[in-house]
Amino acid sequence: MLNKLNRIRRDFNQWSLFTAAIGFFIAIPILTITVYLFDGVGDMWEHIVDYFLLEYLQNSIVLLIGTGILTTLLGTSSAWVISNYNFPLRSALKWLLFLPLAIPSYIVAYAYVGLLGNGGSLIGCLQTIGFSIQKIDFMNIYGLIWVLSFSLFPYVYASSLAMFSSIPRSIRESSEILGASNWRYLRSVAFPLASPAIISGLFLVFMEVLNDYGAAKYYGINTFTTGIFRTWTMLEDLQSAVYLSALLIVMVVIINTLLKWQRGSKSYAVKGSTDQLKSTDRIDLKGNKLLLVWIIVGIPILFGLLLPLGQLFYWATLTYKKTFNIELLQIAGQSFTIALVTTILIILTSLALIYFSRWNHLKSLHFFKKVATIGYVIPGAIIGIGVIRSGQSFITFFDDVFSLEIGFLFYSSSVVLIYAYVFRFLAVVFHPLEANSLKVGKNISEASYLLNAGKIKTLFNIELPLLRTALLTSGILVFIDVLKELPLTLILKPYNVQTLAVKAYEYADDERVAQAALPALMLIFTITIAMAFVSYLQKREKLNI
Amino acid sequence: MVVNSILEISELSKSYDGKVKVLSDFNFNMEHGKICAIVGESGSGKSTLLRLIAGLERPEGGEIKIAQSIVSDNTKIVQPQLRNIGFVFQDFALFPHLTVEQNIAYGIKNNKSKIIDKLLKLVKMEGYNKSYPSQLSGGQEQRVALARTLAIEPKLLLLDEPFSSLDVGLRSILRKEIKGIVKKLNTSLIFITHDISDAIDIADEIIFLKNGKIVQHSPISELSKSSENEDISNIMSELKANMEGVLNLFQKPDESNVFKE
Repeated sequence: MLNKLNRIRRDFNQWSLFTAAIGFFIAIPILTITVYLFDGVGDMWEHIVDYFLLEYLQNSIVLLIGTGILTTLLGTSSAWVISNYNFPLRSALKWLLFLPLAIPSYIVAYAYVGLLGNGGSLIGCLQTIGFSIQKIDFMNIYGLIWVLSFSLFPYVYASSLAMFSSIPRSIRESSEILGASNWRYLRSVAFPLASPAIISGLFLVFMEVLNDYGAAKYYGINTFTTGIFRTWTMLEDLQSAVYLSALLIVMVVIINTLLKWQRGSKSYAVKGSTDQLKSTDRIDLKGNKLLLVWIIVGIPILFGLLLPLGQLFYWATLTYKKTFNIELLQIAGQSFTIALVTTILIILTSLALIYFSRWNHLKSLHFFKKVATIGYVIPGAIIGIGVIRSGQSFITFFDDVFSLEIGFLFYSSSVVLIYAYVFRFLAVVFHPLEANSLKVGKNISEASYLLNAGKIKTLFNIELPLLRTALLTSGILVFIDVLKELPLTLILKPYNVQTLAVKAYEYADDERVAQAALPALMLIFTITIAMAFVSYLQKREKLNI
Repeated sequence: MVVNSILEISELSKSYDGKVKVLSDFNFNMEHGKICAIVGESGSGKSTLLRLIAGLERPEGGEIKIAQSIVSDNTKIVQPQLRNIGFVFQDFALFPHLTVEQNIAYGIKNNKSKIIDKLLKLVKMEGYNKSYPSQLSGGQEQRVALARTLAIEPKLLLLDEPFSSLDVGLRSILRKEIKGIVKKLNTSLIFITHDISDAIDIADEIIFLKNGKIVQHSPISELSKSSENEDISNIMSELKANMEGVLNLFQKPDESNVFKE
């Protein structure tokens, strides 16, 4: 016992303290929600349980099941076709299939109303070619499933494409030699091998569905996230919003457990990565099969990218004279500045958490890494409520104990918003950076220590230069996420700060949906450029290997 | 206590996740200027022992002294960079973004270019100053890793399976060169090997490890007596079987034919 205590004292260092402090500071919102659960339910809780709770639950479950099925179908079929067949425009289509991710789902939702509503562009086209259709009623839960699926399927597409493409040629050839048809190879070899990756992609889709506020609100569908907003803003009952948030967290935990159970212990390490499929191994297609393949990849691109983009461009040509002004440029500037500052802070926090916890010798403190990076599976609305609740406690504490009024920090600056972004998106940078730092190998760092270099010198001279591409790539991805984020921004942005995402939402919420097109297109344009840069960096990294 | 000892280890123990015991009550002393080979089965604790000496792992108990100073016990751990130990990893761990010259210069404080030239000459790598590790062969990488380690003038040199990735001809040459360098620089060396001929060729003493304990520690000249020890015979036959298994793959293709009558 004494020995153990001596060892803990021996192994405790300043990095142990920093690791715990950072982890605790980042996780304050979620800890606050847990603590406030013991305060009992709010005044409106009974009313919510009687009239809304069942609807929130039903709608959320239907949305999850519907988008789960549709995104799996769209994502895996297109990934299979792209990884196994050669056909004209394949490379361009492979890239285009990622692009629906550049359009936030609430913007796709607005565009579909413009396309299919009364006097909508697509309805007009259909009428011109002889259909006597007036409108398609799209603002219901099925419309929302459609919108979310065509907007989020790239998560499944990306993960299954990576897995299908990494299956070595020898495995397919073995299957062929053993007499299996292409269909049987897909069913009994490729799909089972890719299933853990597909499930990981599906988990991201589910998290986005639960996080969605803009599309559900616009279509009038009551979900947990819209319910949290309604309870807090309209019913003015923050405590009941905390309870709804806790229920939503339970739902996330159940989904995570179900998916983990479904995946089981399957994690296939496919050997022979140098023997992966090359373009010459893909099957050349002609005739009817070619047409079928084009339909498979064409449908998601048409409904997830081209139609919404076409509608947005059409609206932009109608409204740009009104909406393109200095104010919009200022909003764009604010958006980019907030996203940039957040990105830098997230990178610094991730690096601190990775290396401080590595330099600390108490393994039990690694728990703080997990707590700090839990934000990505917690919908933005919950984090917003957690931040507001903890903010109130801080304001009261500082006022009571130090007679200091710090309310302005919370209500008229972006500090709190940026802090909440850091919690929400820390995992986007942390996990790839940690994985890459492990890939670099601890021998490299240890070799540096043994050459008389300290931890800081090793970090700056050896570890960071080797992580440069991973830093840039994950930084850009988090920049994109922050630009797109809506619910958290709506809850926490100060009155004098505006972002492109919020501006587009506000136009649509004021029934001026056409005017939402220009800020939306500016957002999409920036995200597309950022995604192209990420793709370029990843390609360069692959060539270096 | 050994007079003029470079390394003294007493009651050293280490386990992973508090469960798997890798080393227990390990005791070992070594004189300055000696070369010691460590031989043992996979998982016997060879690499962990080297990492504990270097300060890359933290022991649960016991004491390590290097040149008569305590570097690790229950109350303190001296950081690896303050132990003045040279370590060549199995994969050499050269910094891939630095040139040969920059790799060697990394640990040097003064007179960098003079020392680099001297070391490159010592390891027979003159003219490779501006090459990157990715442009070198396995043997060349190993020479650079050795030069980089020698640049800090270590009191004790630790090599983790230094010859395992080299072909037979090259390993024989490098063995001799390393022995020459260690004797010339009057330092001490501990190295891990799976090949008993490495030990015979350059070591002054040999340690047989099994399940985290020393089965035998003797001068290399007494190696022939060791075969009477059952544990050592087992270790030797396992190492031999591994080697033969590998050789069979290349030398006896006919025997691998399962359809052969």
